[in-house]
Amino acid sequence: MSPLESISERLGITEPWVEKGGVHWLAPGAKSVREVAQAMNEFNARFVTITAYQLPGDQGFRLEYHWDLNGQLLGFPFQLAANSIESIFDLCEAADWIEREIHEGFVIDFLGREYEPLLLRQGDTPGVNLREEKK
Amino acid sequence: MSYKIPMGPYHPGLEEPYKLDMICEGETVQDAKLHIGFNFRGIEHLAETRNYIQVIALMERVCGICSNIHTLTLCQAMEGLTGLTPPPRAKYIRVIMAELERLHSHVLWAGIAAKLMGFKTMFMTCFELREKVMDVLQAISGNRVNYSMNRIGGVNRDITDPPAILALVEALEAEMARTVIPIFTTSSTARSRCAGIGVLTMEKAISCGVVGPVARASGLPQDLRRAAPYAAYEEMEFDVPVQPDGDVRARLLVRALEIMESCKILRQALAKLPPGEIHTEGEKFPFITGTATSRVEAPRGEVMYSVSWKEGSRNPARVHVRTPTFAVMPAIRWMVQGARLADTPLIQASIDPCYSCTDR
Repeated sequence: MSPLESISERLGITEPWVEKGGVHWLAPGAKSVREVAQAMNEFNARFVTITAYQLPGDQGFRLEYHWDLNGQLLGFPFQLAANSIESIFDLCEAADWIEREIHEGFVIDFLGREYEPLLLRQGDTPGVNLREEKK
Repeated sequence: MSYKIPMGPYHPGLEEPYKLDMICEGETVQDAKLHIGFNFRGIEHLAETRNYIQVIALMERVCGICSNIHTLTLCQAMEGLTGLTPPPRAKYIRVIMAELERLHSHVLWAGIAAKLMGFKTMFMTCFELREKVMDVLQAISGNRVNYSMNRIGGVNRDITDPPAILALVEALEAEMARTVIPIFTTSSTARSRCAGIGVLTMEKAISCGVVGPVARASGLPQDLRRAAPYAAYEEMEFDVPVQPDGDVRARLLVRALEIMESCKILRQALAKLPPGEIHTEGEKFPFITGTATSRVEAPRGEVMYSVSWKEGSRNPARVHVRTPTFAVMPAIRWMVQGARLADTPLIQASIDPCYSCTDR
């Protein structure tokens, strides 16, 4: 069994991995981001980053979580109906700064953690940089 | 009694502004908090306002040291969205530029580290060598900082006289082998100033997700040139230096050894440079709607670009940049815990931080 198949089995996901745009993607289905982070820790995958996208209209946001497993870049997309998702900071300390950056760029809340300013200075407004206000 | 000592945002030990607030007991650092954002330019937002030609010039300006790496990673991602494959000669030229940039970055860092060690003669030696590397970069690209070499589907300029560049590289290699490498690997000054300080254990390196020479100096043999080869790296033979100790000396040794490995790669790439075109035909590219990701091993470690495109648009919908220092810098907190206050400038410099890359 390949490492990717082992990850699918560990997470109980039957959907296949899809290689696209330089990333091996796995749709997490009903699995939470914390379950995925826990599994990645068990497989000794290295956390790389989270990329946030604002979706058109009222669709909210998509967060793409990336880990590296022996040179393979893994991706797990999560769609946010609301502006919040559970933090993985306590499971993966490498996610600290990027969660804070996304919070400041898009006003997405990572639940279960406290924030300190990262890129913004005192008096700056979160979301002013990357979040597009819908008209 | 504990007290707080700030280093920065403007400090002689820092190349660019950031701030390290250290909680000390006597001369010993108990804990530290990092503050970044002083170089924040909103580049990811600006990228959404530039077309696919302009965005390359913009992203070259994320960093003044590894400017070429940013355009290489961006162009590779955009090639993923256009379906273009650069010709073999372009891939080799990309390797040559990337390794020259690694040389100039590592030699610059060695000079700054030497200055922080109190070894100012070595600082002058390193900067003289760095000038020679920049002369080679200028001979190829016509530029010394922002080289404008990468484009979608290849490179903008050819290397017309590889033997002449090879002669310059060999002269550089001989000079480094004579001066920089023996001093950093064997001198008692470097050892006494760097050994056993600023330790990042392998466990903590894994937990923090650090990359590049800092990871390799903590015993992690990760290098994208080997693990996920891009450009023409699959055809190059080289070693990935790894040191187990995780201290400042280990980081010094890894970079010194990487200088020699870069010279080895440069010799191979220049000797084997294939004939042919340096870029694909055409100036207009049909972008596929979607997202593409690219990763490259920059001098400081893994750079990752995620680029997203909307149908019919000339501008990217989103460009996200994860720079190596963004991944490595939080580990400074763990490196300085228990250190002497006087060692902290050298410890924080030992990650070779790029503050502009981090803030973007």
